[in-house]
Amino acid sequence: MTSVIKLERSATTLPPHAWQLLPMRFHRLDANSVVLTNLVGEHVFVTPDELVSVADGTCADQELLARLRAAHVVQVPGETLPTELLAMKLRTRLRRLPDSTGLHLFVVTLRCEHTCRYCQVSRQSAAKSEFDMTEETAGRALQLAFRSPSPYLKIEFQGGEPLLNFPLVRWITTEAKRMNAGHGKDLAFVIATNLALLDDEILEFCAEQGIHISTSLDGPQDLHNGNRRRPGQDSWRQAVAGIRRVQQRLGPDRVSALMTTTEASLDRAAEIIGAYADLGLQAVFLRPISPYGFAIRDRGGANYDVERWLAFYAAGLDQIVELNRQGIPMVEIYASIIAKKMLTNADPGYVDLTSPSGIGIGALVYNYDGDIYASDEGRMLAEMGDHTFRLGNVHDSSYADVMLSDSLLDPLTESIALSAPMCTTCAFEPYCGADPVFHHATMGDFTGHKALSAFCRRNTGVFTLLLRKMRDDAYFRDLMWLWTR
Amino acid sequence: MLDFDRATVELDALQRSAYAVAAEMTVDIRASGAEYTCTLFPRSPDADGDELKHRFRSEVNDQILRARIAKETEPLRNLIFALAFSQTGLVEADTETATEA
Repeated sequence: MTSVIKLERSATTLPPHAWQLLPMRFHRLDANSVVLTNLVGEHVFVTPDELVSVADGTCADQELLARLRAAHVVQVPGETLPTELLAMKLRTRLRRLPDSTGLHLFVVTLRCEHTCRYCQVSRQSAAKSEFDMTEETAGRALQLAFRSPSPYLKIEFQGGEPLLNFPLVRWITTEAKRMNAGHGKDLAFVIATNLALLDDEILEFCAEQGIHISTSLDGPQDLHNGNRRRPGQDSWRQAVAGIRRVQQRLGPDRVSALMTTTEASLDRAAEIIGAYADLGLQAVFLRPISPYGFAIRDRGGANYDVERWLAFYAAGLDQIVELNRQGIPMVEIYASIIAKKMLTNADPGYVDLTSPSGIGIGALVYNYDGDIYASDEGRMLAEMGDHTFRLGNVHDSSYADVMLSDSLLDPLTESIALSAPMCTTCAFEPYCGADPVFHHATMGDFTGHKALSAFCRRNTGVFTLLLRKMRDDAYFRDLMWLWTR
Repeated sequence: MLDFDRATVELDALQRSAYAVAAEMTVDIRASGAEYTCTLFPRSPDADGDELKHRFRSEVNDQILRARIAKETEPLRNLIFALAFSQTGLVEADTETATEA
């Protein structure tokens, strides 16, 4: 006998005032469209009139009410499931917190053979080995890194140009793996390099050790070389040749590239993305220049405002969508991070878009001299004489000294978005982050005045752009879903 | 200059609005009789006065709605946070997490 379970969709009709609002916020996308977000960032598009009718309890549109119930923006009194599900999703979003700190940056040398116009640090000439990290300092830093409760440890080698101190990169990698035998953490390594010094020995070591390569590619040759100067003016040629060598020896997924937007980039989004596609790279990160250190000098390339960068970003995103439509896969990294926050309950853990901020609890930086910073931007500020985000030194600070220092806890607690003016009522708060280093550098306090904050304007602009595109373009919405994976 | 009826508009909504529009104008808020009087000072000398008034009034209306929603949903918000954090294990977390062994 076959039993048939017949499921019928209950046609719940909600009369006026038969629902209650769940915690939600709204943002006007344009004159006829408002986005509502719930406590964890799930969103629904409504008209301004619909917003008022839902809030007033007078809405008669049953289809809209059903959508709002499904998105946990409203519930019927007496229901408990929506609050339980929201709590579970909130917990999921915050689950990284007890596992701090996953990313550990080792500045193995300040030496560099490039003189990039936007470089934030005080690079030293390639001959001055007194700016190299020593094994003793690196060993102390590793001990601190392994005190982190995180089950994942990513060690990123930075500079200067870290390949100028490759023996230490080799030593740290080997030592970290030896130490990890007693910890069992998921260990990963990244070398952030301009690739000009890549040779077979280094490549072989990266292959053996499973090291990922992160490099810089600012776009076409003239743009890249104009930004990234080195003797011979061959930075682009070296980078491209290096990317190809890594792709061939280690595999295409083991090398990624980052670009930095200077004034000269602003009208060249399509060419920049084309340069990435030509190399078979499938991801590009359209990054604004960071307002730290030497980048903000006149010749640093940072002389443009948020609006110009947003126009550049929008043009670049359009180009990337077009490539995907043509069957050429390409991801915009910043949009993919935000897609995860808008469409899933996963926290991608991107330091600039987390609240509490990711400084210290998301990443720690060990400078060549053993000084510990809460973020790479904090190190850049120190290069300009502002030591606000220096947490200690590996030679005389314990893990407790570092993680419980006022230099870390003050900016963390003062900048939490859930309690910051304007952020508390902002519909984009679940997508955004607290950036105490940026606000300290640009406004003189850890929270910043959000109405005047370039960080707020930039991210509000990006969130608005992505939401409008998802609202208006089903293909783009599908692409954003794809980028969450 | 814009007047708001004190019987229908909370000072908090005006102050939040003044904060939110700070990139475009600064606002002086004074209570007098049954009204709050807001004087708008544009940051740009080219700013359109009527446009600024519309902008500020719209912001005030949004802040009133936001405050109403926040007040109405506050108990549920607290409940959700309590439920979320009650099961994180943070309360019983290893106190050595941030201390030396």
